[in-house]
Amino acid sequence: MNDNIADLVDSRTGRQSRSIYASEDIYRQELERIFGRCWLFLVHTSQIPKPGDYFRTFMGEDDVIVIRQKDGSIKAFLNSCTHRGNRICRADRGNARAFTCNYHGWSFSPDGALAGVPLESEAYFGELDRTKFGLIPVTKVAEYKGLVFGCWDANSPSLDDYLGDAKFFLDVWLDAMPGGSALLGETQKMVLGTNWKLPVENVCGDGYHLGWAHAGAMAAVQSMDLTGLSVGNSGVDLDGGLSVAGMNGHMVLSALDGVSGYAFYPDPKPILEYLEANRQTVIDRLGEVRGRQVWGAQVNITIFPNLQLLPGLNWFRVYHPKGPTQIEQWTWAMAENDMPEAVKAQILENQCLTFGLAGLFDNDDGDNLTACTEQSRGWRTAQMDVYTNMALGRSGKREGFPGDIASGLVSEHNQRYFYRRWQEHMMAETWAEVPTYNINSLTDEEAEHA
Amino acid sequence: MLDRPLAPPPVEVIVAVTQALHREARLLDNEDLDGWLAMLGKDVSYRLELKSRRFRADRSPPLPLGPGVIFNEDLGRLKMRVDRLKSGFVWAEDPPNYIRRAVSNVEVLANQADNEVRVHSVLVMHRNRIDGTTRLLTAGRTDRWRSEGSCWLLASRDIVLDHSVMPDSNLNAFF
Ligand code: FES
Ligand SMILES: [Fe+2]
Repeated sequence: MNDNIADLVDSRTGRQSRSIYASEDIYRQELERIFGRCWLFLVHTSQIPKPGDYFRTFMGEDDVIVIRQKDGSIKAFLNSCTHRGNRICRADRGNARAFTCNYHGWSFSPDGALAGVPLESEAYFGELDRTKFGLIPVTKVAEYKGLVFGCWDANSPSLDDYLGDAKFFLDVWLDAMPGGSALLGETQKMVLGTNWKLPVENVCGDGYHLGWAHAGAMAAVQSMDLTGLSVGNSGVDLDGGLSVAGMNGHMVLSALDGVSGYAFYPDPKPILEYLEANRQTVIDRLGEVRGRQVWGAQVNITIFPNLQLLPGLNWFRVYHPKGPTQIEQWTWAMAENDMPEAVKAQILENQCLTFGLAGLFDNDDGDNLTACTEQSRGWRTAQMDVYTNMALGRSGKREGFPGDIASGLVSEHNQRYFYRRWQEHMMAETWAEVPTYNINSLTDEEAEHA
Repeated sequence: MLDRPLAPPPVEVIVAVTQALHREARLLDNEDLDGWLAMLGKDVSYRLELKSRRFRADRSPPLPLGPGVIFNEDLGRLKMRVDRLKSGFVWAEDPPNYIRRAVSNVEVLANQADNEVRVHSVLVMHRNRIDGTTRLLTAGRTDRWRSEGSCWLLASRDIVLDHSVMPDSNLNAFF
């Protein structure tokens, strides 16, 4: 299989074999080597604030339940009964003192312990060792500034090292203001007939599609400039933004104007006032570059493999794979806790309008991703390649930023790094074989002056 | 709450409002979106809230800013959506999807205001999409319809969608 994987992607030329979007064998290997190995987003701490609060999610195709403990810590378990394997929790979220299985009535406490077994003394003759039948915990759970991740691989790097220099950009959302961040509203779930990599690729680097695929939505709601991108792909200002990659497989697109994140709000005024009122605070916390140029600008952050958050448009999303050609896409709105309530409400409203289930923009993407997947399933198309070869070899260091950086939001630089990372994981037998790299990492001194 | 039950609306009103629901569905099926907008009151509210699947006994409090929405539209926003659909840039609708709405379970009830009725109905939306596959969406609706001059206008619509995961890649369609 490894020889084969080496052939499937060439990140120097930007080539991908279309089989990676439809093959069942490759998908099985992804579940093991990507979803079974990487740190995966589970929940935002704001979604389970109180002891007993729980949230159901997926790690790859494994159903997982994440629970706030009495001591405030967070644990995660397979949502599967240790008796005969039944699903234990069938709700999306809630608060519970115990989880009782429907099948024979075993019940588990929020810390995963097997707390009750019907007919324990009569039918098991008191011989069941309950301590051996607690819920199966997710191997590692860790938090970075409100984002809770889980990982199945005991040999993975720490979450901190895994995120690497992507934290430089994550902090622009998670730590710009002292109050931190929160996710808003219920989960917006949609099933799409696409391979999971295509939506990740689309958001991690593809500014190219914006002016074309979303022309109708842009015409409807755009109120400010975003790096010159325009309806019908008739213009672009490559100096206005950055495509940042080479950070352990994480990627960022960032405009540099400090306001364009809110370009797709019909009425951005209240948010612009919030930005200006707090600009100095953020500069004091994060420095000039991030405080003035990045905070408030449109930023697309991708945490490998399946988490994307977009400060500005303010949506936060994970893609759960459901076979090689299907996903569930889960979206929330996100806000800074220091925002006035009216601004938070406007953000939730506008996220639903633009990237919700009837989102003016989001409704443009699904059919394209689905069709790219379908066109990889034919006898002939499965043998063919596709390319992300725009602006090859035009990247380097940029003053004040970590990463290998190409100019502009329109480039296929980030996609090439995404597929490179995918290949690195797929070829590695263990974590030890997966390379770590944070290209052009800022020195402490640079970071201080940034 | 009401002091005493309101008398049921006259049969002519029930017939007229039921016909309005059917007409509305036909206009939408035929993509006569301007015709549909003309059936809406100036102050129309058109809402579809998000929800989650929860245990019946769940005690957790409401989310701080509410559940969020799929639609929360006034007339201006509905016009904006219609303008987008008519822009010629919405590739997901070209060639057109085959779409058919069936309206059913219609109950027309009296409302406090004399010129208004409350209306419950069920909408089944059949969409045969460009990719050749068919999605079936069902929703419950609670409306207020108001008589203005010779016609009935939709004053408000609260939609409840019967899907915890949206089974389609877009909702370029109105319920
Ligand atoms: S499968 Fe859960 S109690 Fe038997
Ligand atoms: Fe898009």
